[in-house]
Amino acid sequence: MKAEYVNSFYAATKNVFQLLVDIEPKRGDLKVVDSLSNDKDANVELGVKGDIKGKVLFSFPKNMTLEMVKIMSGMEMDKIDNFASSALGEIANIIGGNAMTLLSENNYTCDIEPPQIYIGDYKAVSENDEKALMMSLMTPIGEFDITISLKEKK
Amino acid sequence: MMWKDKYKIGIDEIDKQHEELFGRVSDFNQAIRSDEDWETRVNKVKETMAFMKDYVITHFNEEEAYQEEINYPYLEEHRDAHIKFKESVNNYVKIFEEEGFTEEKIQEFGGKLMTWLIMHVGNMDQKIGEYVKSKGG
Repeated sequence: MKAEYVNSFYAATKNVFQLLVDIEPKRGDLKVVDSLSNDKDANVELGVKGDIKGKVLFSFPKNMTLEMVKIMSGMEMDKIDNFASSALGEIANIIGGNAMTLLSENNYTCDIEPPQIYIGDYKAVSENDEKALMMSLMTPIGEFDITISLKEKK
Repeated sequence: MMWKDKYKIGIDEIDKQHEELFGRVSDFNQAIRSDEDWETRVNKVKETMAFMKDYVITHFNEEEAYQEEINYPYLEEHRDAHIKFKESVNNYVKIFEEEGFTEEKIQEFGGKLMTWLIMHVGNMDQKIGEYVKSKGG
């Protein structure tokens, strides 16, 4: 997996988080994982198609999700309902779109598919045995992960 | 309240309209998430949707006219973003017309609308303010 993929998603995430929730996420561990799965409470899957194909998974703990939506809306949140999960899906969608713009600067033409939101554990339906890269990101309101499973179309 | 002073772009008329829009979206969010029965909330939803449809168009037109007036170099890009924003809202209007104002879809729309609005005003519109400042305005 190329560094540009990870760097584009990190740069896009940093920018969108600063705009929407006034937080700059710091990069933590980057590790190779066997599959696209995560046991955090809220998961958003984005499909990528074009010159690069695959999936990207954003995984957030419950309290962090609620805090993000609270910062944006000014309203107290006590559960991840349709309103909160829809806002979270849109945040991931915007990050994905911005990451695609950054990748296009490296001459990759690709597009994202509409976000799929999963409340609870996420386990990818096994399509292949590709390994994925999981990047952990630290913020004052919690730690979240972005797992990237992308490969160049031959 | 959703509105934060950091969303101001430094042009009074546009800032006032943004604050009004954020206020309406905040009211909308509070209405759809209140403990009142759904029938009562649906009326507020319909009222807000009717206001938003007109106000968003008026606001976008005025913002675009202002950009023309100052020879804003990114007018086309900005106009495209307005078109996409209106299309996204209209997609939901169509869903509501076809499927009715279901709580599930309204909540979904509320979460998206809030995110779109903050992203648009907090990012694209800021660039208008920066351009005016760079020209000594």
